[in-house]
Amino acid sequence: MSIVTENPRGSCVLGGINSTLSAVNKFCPIFHSGPGCGLQTSAGEAGQAGLKSPHFLSSVSLPCSLMLEREVVFGGIEKLTDTIRGSIDIIDADAYFILNGCTSGIIGDDTETVAKGFRAEGFPVYNIPTPGFAGDSNLGYETTISTFLSQLVEPGRPRQANLINLLGIFPYHDPYWAGTFEELVRIFSKLGLEVNTFFSHGQGIEHIKNAGAAALNVIVNPWLLQGEARKFEKRFGVPSLRFPGLPVGATDTTRLVRQVADALAIDGKLVEDVIYEEESYVYNYYETAIGALSWKKFAVIGDANVAIGMTHALANDLGFTPVVTVVTEPVSREADKAAIRDRIQDLEYVKGPDVVFATDNYDVGRALDEYNDVSLFVGSSLEREIAFNRDAQIFVAAYPITDQLILNRTYSGYRGAITLVEDLFNNL
Amino acid sequence: MPRTYSGIREQREYTDTYLDLAGSSLQIEQDFKKKCIKNADRTFSQSYQCQELNSISALLSVNDAVLIAHAPQGCVGCITMGADMYRVAQIHRGAEKITSPKILITNLDQSDVIMGGEGKLRESIRLASERYKPKLIFVFTSCASGIIGDDVDAIVREAQPDTEALIVPVHCDGFRSKICASGYDAAFIAISKFVLKGAVPKKEKGLINLFAPMTVSFADQLEIEKLLRRIGLKSNFLPFFSDYDKVLNIPNAEASTSICKVFADEFMKDIEHDFGIPYAHTVMPVGIRNTDKWYRAIAEITGKGDEVEEIIATEHARIQPELDKIKLKLQGKSVFICGGTGRSFAAATLIDDFGMKLLGIETPVYDLDAQDDIAFLNDIHGDYLIDVANMLPFEQVNIVNKLKPDVFIGVPSWSSRFGIPTTHILDPKRPTMGYDGIVWLGNKIAAQIENPGFNKKLSKYARLPYRESWYDEDPFKFIKEVI
Repeated sequence: MSIVTENPRGSCVLGGINSTLSAVNKFCPIFHSGPGCGLQTSAGEAGQAGLKSPHFLSSVSLPCSLMLEREVVFGGIEKLTDTIRGSIDIIDADAYFILNGCTSGIIGDDTETVAKGFRAEGFPVYNIPTPGFAGDSNLGYETTISTFLSQLVEPGRPRQANLINLLGIFPYHDPYWAGTFEELVRIFSKLGLEVNTFFSHGQGIEHIKNAGAAALNVIVNPWLLQGEARKFEKRFGVPSLRFPGLPVGATDTTRLVRQVADALAIDGKLVEDVIYEEESYVYNYYETAIGALSWKKFAVIGDANVAIGMTHALANDLGFTPVVTVVTEPVSREADKAAIRDRIQDLEYVKGPDVVFATDNYDVGRALDEYNDVSLFVGSSLEREIAFNRDAQIFVAAYPITDQLILNRTYSGYRGAITLVEDLFNNL
Repeated sequence: MPRTYSGIREQREYTDTYLDLAGSSLQIEQDFKKKCIKNADRTFSQSYQCQELNSISALLSVNDAVLIAHAPQGCVGCITMGADMYRVAQIHRGAEKITSPKILITNLDQSDVIMGGEGKLRESIRLASERYKPKLIFVFTSCASGIIGDDVDAIVREAQPDTEALIVPVHCDGFRSKICASGYDAAFIAISKFVLKGAVPKKEKGLINLFAPMTVSFADQLEIEKLLRRIGLKSNFLPFFSDYDKVLNIPNAEASTSICKVFADEFMKDIEHDFGIPYAHTVMPVGIRNTDKWYRAIAEITGKGDEVEEIIATEHARIQPELDKIKLKLQGKSVFICGGTGRSFAAATLIDDFGMKLLGIETPVYDLDAQDDIAFLNDIHGDYLIDVANMLPFEQVNIVNKLKPDVFIGVPSWSSRFGIPTTHILDPKRPTMGYDGIVWLGNKIAAQIENPGFNKKLSKYARLPYRESWYDEDPFKFIKEVI
């Protein structure tokens, strides 16, 4: 059940599907919806995730059947069919996906049959039936991965012992997704691994098709993709390693590296050599910035991945004092909430922060009102207001981000650990 | 007799309206005159802007209002992104505290679609009142709320007696119009009906309602207010960065004008009808001809015709040396323009100030109003290509690739990748309007043409999603006659 939400941090299901598909090279979303959904969902996700705009199709370049009054009354299958034909005719895509807007979902257009018809003609057209109103962008991300599993991933490919699927980092909704994938792929390749990200390094349909050959899924997320992980295991025999929270800072990055290496039984000496080399790179730089960052009592406001990653890095690696962490995603299952809370509070030296779950921006504000000793807010562009009013430092590092251009910057991984310290520096 | 305009622009009876049309400008002008343009539709299209976005953006910055979107979460994507523009605008205006607009979403979901979302709307109204004690609460409808048939007006009526704020429902279901500017009309119809109805005007001599959309920069606001001040007129600038009192002040004005052709044009007819306020409906004051025309129109209805001529002459003389310098750089360059209704026509006249030549224009709507502009542009530029399209990048890339203009004016996302210089005359953060705006834009265009390095280098690696074969085809092959 959704709740009334002020200044929501996310879009609808279509927003999640659109973000996910538009991050894959040569995938073509086709909106079967009212005229504005392509633009609204692009603005709602990519538009607020550091402004980077998907290179292939996004916003007003997304094909759309433009359902108007007539289609809402009489059905829009004919217009959808024409729109798909036109898309195939002029857009050089590897696969086409029908996205169902509220209009299509409510009137019940049979888009599944349309997709099947095109596939029978040999065209790679797939339907994602979950309509816009069915939930938020997270559900859209999960639904898209699920569609990949049921429609694209090819069964029966031989197992590749050094291949992993890196999942859980939701493109565009996580503004740093591109940089994070690049950095984690860099690190994993030093362990001799090949990585399917689907979304970076020009990856596309071939990598998705081959995902069933992977030896392991690494899901960097505390709560998303649970059903998809089961599907992967059941249908393709690929087990999943769940790493809750982004690996921000050297400590959590090393933790991730060790867990992946353990799961794949990678040669211990190689692993320790890589960790030593990477950590010394980080700490040799940190050594040159001793005293540069003044001590802070901090609050983190962000989705679960950011909430965990940032709380850990600032507390464990930088010696700051955590006060409160607000998880802004609509996490409904109690077990998920408990797991997220435990992980946030699991710190090496200091007591964990209070953890609050709030999606409504007003509730976020009221929660933070309880803590008047915060001197650093790590949050989204929305938190500028509270930081400004309370004369505290603001470090914008969570969606929605509308006041920074983010291309390949990341705070994850070893390189990200250095960027983190650079960007946290504040001379005021 | 009260006006009964539905707010759906394509249904206006006094004008034919075409949205799927392309061809020679001279031919289209003739055909429109003879009423022999065929009804058509595109069998393939890319996404449009929905009217709900325009409704919300029109009222986003009414300071003492809370906005409620009766919709699933995705329907405020553009607006939460647009919140940044609102924050930046506060910085430009020197605000001491930067705030975010207050937007609540009822977050319609599966069960609401079946059972109705009326309870959530009631709850939203209650939350909006409790949290912010606003003077106004705007409620915006959506595709979902419209199709499931939630009776928004009835809920508002029920809630009003217990709510201190005035609750204003705005009917802007996205699927009801293909023209996003309909959303502006929906917002103004709601203001007429719920805020201004029955108001007794206390006329203030010299007060002008100056209607402007959110994309008008503070620099432009100052420039336009200055022009009005110089002929003794005071601006009631709204609805951008206005408040309840400024809205209530509308009936008291001596006259109205707008700085965008499709913004408040129908509303100005309403308030003329309701409160006897004359209005000037002309063009966007960008470029010499348009600025003169815009200025003269408001001067004429306020009896300032003589004063304005003197100022216009002075301004022309003042900027002429600058224009001569700009013209040396731009004379003869060919241009393709893509923009919204007001901006695209304004850009097409502006380039003539610099001696540039129009090759083609993409503009969203062809109607009686557009016919005026096109007739005027045909006199200046002769024959050129018109593509009536809401951007439609697939047509744009095909046309631009064929026409090979010296410069592209508009959203540069696609044309940049061909390596040609690109520039824009829409800038919500910097000047574009009035006499100083002309010089600013001229210098900007000249500078961007002179230095195309970014686009040129990018073009070697650029990726566009279309098949090679598309560039050889008729860009308008999807426009099909509808009977």
